[in-house]
Order: sequence, then C-alpha cells, then structure tokens
Amino acid sequence: MPETAITTVSDAELRWQLMIRRIIHLLLPIVVMVPFLCEIDMPGKPSPLVKQIYYDLEALEPGSVVLFSLDFDPGSQAELAPMTVAALRQCFKNDLHPIVMTHWFSGLGLHKRLLEETAEEFAPDKKSGRDYVLLGFRPGGQSVILSMGDSITGAFDKDYYGKITEGMDALKDVDSLRDIDYALVLSAGGTIDGMWIPYGSDRYGFPIGAGCTAVMAPDLYPFEQSKQITGIIGGLRGAADYEVLVGAPDDATSAMAAQSFAHLYIIGLVIVANIEEFVRKRSKKRE
Amino acid sequence: MPEAPLERASSTRQIVEIVAAVVLLTIFLGASAWRQSDGLSSGTLAGTAEALGIIIAAGLTLIMYSFLYRDNPFFKAVENLYVGVGLGYGAVMTWHQALKPEVVEPIILAPSFGALGSALIVRGVPILLGFMLLTRISRKYSWPSRYSYAIMIGWYAGMGIPITIHTFILEQVNAAINPLFAPGASPLATFLSINTQIIVLVGTVSVLYYFFFSLEHKGAGKVVSRVGIIFLMVSFGASYGYTVMARISLLIGRVDFLLYDWLQRPRP
Repeated sequence: MPETAITTVSDAELRWQLMIRRIIHLLLPIVVMVPFLCEIDMPGKPSPLVKQIYYDLEALEPGSVVLFSLDFDPGSQAELAPMTVAALRQCFKNDLHPIVMTHWFSGLGLHKRLLEETAEEFAPDKKSGRDYVLLGFRPGGQSVILSMGDSITGAFDKDYYGKITEGMDALKDVDSLRDIDYALVLSAGGTIDGMWIPYGSDRYGFPIGAGCTAVMAPDLYPFEQSKQITGIIGGLRGAADYEVLVGAPDDATSAMAAQSFAHLYIIGLVIVANIEEFVRKRSKKRE
Repeated sequence: MPEAPLERASSTRQIVEIVAAVVLLTIFLGASAWRQSDGLSSGTLAGTAEALGIIIAAGLTLIMYSFLYRDNPFFKAVENLYVGVGLGYGAVMTWHQALKPEVVEPIILAPSFGALGSALIVRGVPILLGFMLLTRISRKYSWPSRYSYAIMIGWYAGMGIPITIHTFILEQVNAAINPLFAPGASPLATFLSINTQIIVLVGTVSVLYYFFFSLEHKGAGKVVSRVGIIFLMVSFGASYGYTVMARISLLIGRVDFLLYDWLQRPRP
C-alpha cells in the first residue's frame, strides 16, 4: 500500500514532503526553546482536580502518614518528578510523614534521589526512619498491596537502606494500609487503576490521589467521578498547578510557556494540514 | 524495509553528511568542554564523574534526536545501548531487590537451621513454583510449569474477578446513576448538574448502543449510533490532546536538561 502511494507521487513532490517533515521536526525544539531563552512566564490557574489533592493533604494533622507509590522511571521523569517534589515539599512543610515505595524497580534510584534531595533542601532537620521512610521495591504487584493490607512492616521488613522497619518512629502508628491517612500514587502506567484502586483503596478504605502522565489522565476521570480517587494531577500541567499551590514554582511552572507555545504550534499545524487536505480534495474533485 | 529512492544517499550526499557530523561533533565537544569545565577540572572524582555523566547524557539525547533527520548508525548504536543498559539494570535490580533478599539470604545464607526451617516453610513452595516456571525453556520437560501457571491463574482469577466487578462495574454504574436534583443546591448548581447527568446518560447509552452489534443500526437506532460515534470522537480527541501534551512534556524535559544542566544556563 505505501509503495503504491510512493509510485504515484512524483520525485519532486516526495522531496518536498521529506523537506517539510524535517522543517516541522526542526521547528518544534526551536518553538520549545524560545520561551526558555526569553524567560517567558505563563503561570496558570490550578484546576479543581489538582486543588482537591492539595486540600486533602493540607487537611491532615501533623504526624499523619502519607503513602507515596512512585510508579515511574526516568522515562517519565519530566512529567512526574516535579509533582513528586512538590507533594513531598508540602508533606515536609506540614510535618506529615511520607512513606515512599514503588512497583517500578527501574525508577528506584531516581525516587531515592528525589526524596533525599527534597528532604535535604527543604527540611534538613528531617531524618529517614523518624520523619520519612523509603521502603523501596518488593516484587509482586497486587500481592504486595494485599500483603501491606495485612502488615506494612511484614511486606517491607527492611527499608531501602536495609534497616528493620519494625519500630521505626515514622511507622509507629501504622500497622497496615487501613492506618494510612492518605495515599498519593504517582504513576506512569497501570498501577493506579490496575492495582491501587481495586486492591488498595476500594478494599482497605483509605483515600487516594492520583498523579499521572498526561496520556493516562483521560482514563482516570471516571474514577474521580465515582469518588474512587479524590483528584488527579495530570502531566506537566498538573505538576505546575501543584507547584503553584504549594507556593514553590519550579521546573514544571517554568515549562508551562514552552508547553503552551508547542501546543499553539501543533494546533497551527493541524489547521494548516486540514486546509491543505481540503484544498487538495476539492481540486481533485474538479479534475 | 528498503529505503525510498530519495532516501538512498548519493556519494556526494554521504560526504556532506559526514562533514556535517564531524562539524556537529566538534561543536558538541567544544560546548561541553566550555560549559562543563568547572566540573571536569574540579579535581574531585564526584565532580568529574558528574560532568562526564552530563556530557554523555547530552550526547546520547542529541544522537537520539538525529533520527528525525533520518536513520543513522549513531542512532542505532544508542538505541541498542539503551536496550542493553535497561536489561543490565533490570537484572541487577532484580537480583538485589528480589532474588537476594527473598531467596538467597533466607535460604542459602540462613544464619541457623531453625531460620532455614522456618524460611523453607514460608518460602519453599513459592520458590519451587518459581523454579518450575523455568522448565518452559525445554519443550519436552515443560509440563511442571503448567502447575505454576495454573496456581497463578487461579489466584489472580479468584482475587481479580470480584474486585474487578466491584471496582470497574458496580462503582462506575453507581456513579452514573445520580439524582437530577440535589437537595439544597442553588438553581445554577442544579441546572449544571441536570445538564451533566443528561450528557452522561446520553453518552453512556449511545456508546453502549454503538457497540451493540446484534441489531442492525438503521432508523432511530442509526441516529443513536451516530450520537455514540460523536461521543467516541470527542473522547479520542481528548486522548489525542493529552498524548500531544505528554510527548511535548518529554521534549521539554530534555530541552530543560540541555539548556540548564549541559549548557549551564542560569535558571530563572
């Protein structure tokens, strides 16, 4: 089929198409770079879905335990790392105890860095084991969640650094998932609707907020409507909203102008391509 | 797939491309040496390693984007490097995070016979089932793996079916059936709520009807089916928009890295 298409297109036309394709690709990074180089600022208004997660965390008493399931790896770092840092900052600011775990072992090094750097930069007095815990990874997916439903220290007998979790100050009021005050699942695929909602919050009854890549966000709206999740931080836009809410604009906020410019560029391309297609079809009809 | 005639490089074009590659490499190395000079000449192992890491990451990023011009050996090499690094990292992490703490330490490195006994009681059967899965590598002796699969499928079906019905059907149906009039709500909120509920109702019914193939879609049914298509198209449009946003975000992440980490521009 494509070969037939190629044979019907003249060499000059094919050359022109290849050239156009390369120009489009070359222009995109330029369009993205311009706002960075010109330092254009385009702060947005946080959406209600993002605000809901922020207010849920704000409503927790100091000392409450917030479970972070960071189910992403460096491939999704651009979207999910900023919202992780913003939510961790909020936890440290409000004296909440973040417990960090993952179902994606490929991101473990990144999660460790995010947690340690945020703690060091934003709350240097916070100590691992006392104010926060990095549980790390356990194989098993849904089984790990069910096991945590029985006992968190049973599912993770040691933390990431090899310390025994039983008796840790940050976990002293937490036996199982039923004792978790809030869970924030920041995921690049599958673990929110595939694991944490059905096997976690629906079963053990703790509130859950979802942070996800933009690709996943439309699939999660039905769960927000059914109140199975309290809110959604969707993609870089959601991360920027969260940074604004926390009062610490950072990477995601500074990227919003670039995102808007790129969207305008794509919208322009879609319009031009549609007009071109419309004109081409019309001229064919005339022929 | 064979390249299109215009993609096949002529010898002149090859020379131009090689010269361009050499020039770009020189610019890249020059920019790296200039902007990362502090790290490279820091005198500490950590500083030098970090600077080298940034230069390598920047180089690999730019090589990956060279595919947008056309497929090339550098891109192929980096693509394979990515797969290899991913596999190697996965193997090491699986050892450290799963096999070593779950199998080796409690069984092989058990501190006492008592600890070994209790570890075998708890972990013996799962470990055995895990090893039985490895028999899949032989066609003749793969039958033990069926027992492992049977247990896995039985477990997941037993756990998953009621959970799936609850989470994905009952909860969603419950959320779709809401009263039109909320007691105590303002007129505007009631008006918006009624509109939302009607849209949800029309959308749900028409999309479900569109996927109902037992009846031919004609007459009034065709209209309902068409409405279903419109709802589906809106949904696909939203998904496409979000996908564009996600992909642009990844590009922004790399541009951010190149500008602020590699080229060391001061952050605003």
